Amino acid sequence: MVKPILKLITVAKEAGVVTRKYPYDSPLLTEEFRGKIEIDASICWGCGACVKACPSNALTIRESMDVRELVYFAGRCIFCGRCADVCPTGAIKVTKEFELATEELEDLEQVVIHRKVKCPICGKHFVPQPLGRYVCEKCAKGGVPTYMMVCPECRRKVGVKKMIRCKGG
Amino acid sequence: MRVRTPRALKRSIWVFHLNTGSCNACDIEILDVLAPFMDAERFGVKLVASPRHADVALLTGPITRETLPKVVNALRAMPRPRLVLAIGACAVSGGIWHDSYSVIGGFPRLKKILEENGVVIDRVVYVPGCPARPEAIIYGLAVLVGLLKKKVRKEVKEAGER
Repeated sequence: MVKPILKLITVAKEAGVVTRKYPYDSPLLTEEFRGKIEIDASICWGCGACVKACPSNALTIRESMDVRELVYFAGRCIFCGRCADVCPTGAIKVTKEFELATEELEDLEQVVIHRKVKCPICGKHFVPQPLGRYVCEKCAKGGVPTYMMVCPECRRKVGVKKMIRCKGG
Repeated sequence: MRVRTPRALKRSIWVFHLNTGSCNACDIEILDVLAPFMDAERFGVKLVASPRHADVALLTGPITRETLPKVVNALRAMPRPRLVLAIGACAVSGGIWHDSYSVIGGFPRLKKILEENGVVIDRVVYVPGCPARPEAIIYGLAVLVGLLKKKVRKEVKEAGER
């Protein structure tokens, strides 16, 4: 009876203690571990590429009159990191943060507010300011974009009027 | 800093594992928590077979329609204070099934159904993750009992002007 127990003790001594003292010790994180994402509001355009890539709709866009809100709800996130892959500016970064336990779901939300460009003709708000500015920079190539900051509907109307005037001579 | 805890939890926490139609990933992480490597028994956490013995229900899964009556019964059988640890993205908010027809979609919606049926839940802690790490579950338990304070907070940022 005694012998097997003695054997066990020797085996246990060889193995040592494997238990991690987690809350008092660092967690076991590998390099490729993905946790909560972080959105850098100073670089984000509000283009919505991450929203289309998100498989679980953790990232959503809330549109209102003059503001576009990019809402990240970590409670629904599956930490796949696709949003960081598709982000054209690299505003979204995957952090190693996983200690997200909370009593209120509101704590898991992260909101980035984008103000929209105002159309000078009809006064409608249509595209986030940084995105509009980027398109202007890319398309104008130094020159001044004529109807770039005009909303699509007004742009169409103005364009048609211009064409009619040209044809009429 | 210590937060005031319910009286019943000054001693060991007995947990009941309640799977409500999850994919078993969170369940395996719960096994990891109880196994010697993470060893939640350091804090007196013990798995029990009946909800009548349990202090905390470890709820995983998006609560399918099929499991709903059983979940309500199991939670009703628990003694007060009734504490719930919602583990995984599915239990927190429905996860990738949030708009599916066959699930209730997370604990917040279940809570309303429970209130209609007269089952009071005293405290809930949500542990997001898909699946939640064993460390995250231990952290959630510590938040539930009041050993640690929560870290996350709602962030509202305005896009910067260039």
